[in-house]
Amino acid sequence: MTVLEVMERAGIRDTNLAIAWIKDAIHFIESTQTENLKTRKFSIVEGQRDYDLPSDLISINSISVLDTEDDNKYKQIRRLVGPHVITEDTNP
Amino acid sequence: MSYNTGRTYFWKVHGQKVHLLKLRKNSLLSPDANGRIDAEDTQLVYPDEAIPNGARVEYNTFVKPFVSTDPNTLATDTNETTWTNPSLTEVTSPEETSHINLNRMLSLACVCYVQAQNAVKEGNLQMKEYYMREFYKKLADNESNKRRISIAFASPVSSVR
Repeated sequence: MTVLEVMERAGIRDTNLAIAWIKDAIHFIESTQTENLKTRKFSIVEGQRDYDLPSDLISINSISVLDTEDDNKYKQIRRLVGPHVITEDTNP
Repeated sequence: MSYNTGRTYFWKVHGQKVHLLKLRKNSLLSPDANGRIDAEDTQLVYPDEAIPNGARVEYNTFVKPFVSTDPNTLATDTNETTWTNPSLTEVTSPEETSHINLNRMLSLACVCYVQAQNAVKEGNLQMKEYYMREFYKKLADNESNKRRISIAFASPVSSVR
C-alpha cells in the first residue's frame, strides 16, 4: 500500500504528517509484533556488566550467549526479574 | 571456555544498556584455601571470562519501512515452483508514491492509526478511541492469521445433514 493510498483512505492531505504517523504506526507494530528481526553480536569482557544495546532497537526478542564447549552454539539466556543481589561488584 | 551458558547467564535492561550477569555455583562442602566454606551455594557475579562475539541480541527494529516496489506482489509468478519475491529497495526520503513495507493487513492497521491521530488533531477523542480499537483489532487479526488452526468434529449419526 502506498503512502498516497493511506492518505486517501484516511482523508489526510498533509503528506509529511501522514508519513510521520505511518512511522509511529510501524513503531507500534514493531513493539507488539515480531515483524522484522535483526541480530547484533558483541564481545563479553571479563568483569564487565554493562553493554550497549543497538540504538535502532525497538524491542528485544532474545539474548543469547555463546557456548564454546558445545560446538559454538548461541544459547538463549533468561531475563532477570525483580531485584537481585550481586555478590561480586567490580566496576561499576 | 564458556559452557552451559543458557543456564548460567542472565540479562536485564537498564535504559540503553543491557546488564549481563553470570550465576556461579559454589560447593558447600569443599573449603577454600583459607579453610572457609561459603554460605551461599549460588552467586550472581559479573561475567568472569572474555568471550569474543559472545553475546547475541535479536531485536525488533525498522527494516526498510518504506520501499520503492510493492512488497505484497511476487516479482515472478510462472507456476507453483517458479516464483520469486520482489527485491525491495529502501526509500530513505519517503514520498506519496512510496510503499509501506508491511503486508496488507498491517497496512490497513496503519490507515486506522492515521485516522486515529487525525481524530485527535480534530479533537474528536471518541473517534480516536474507535480507530485505535480497530488498529489493535487488525494487529490481532494479523497475528491470528499466522496461527490458523483447524478443528474437526465428528458429527453425530443423528444430526441433520
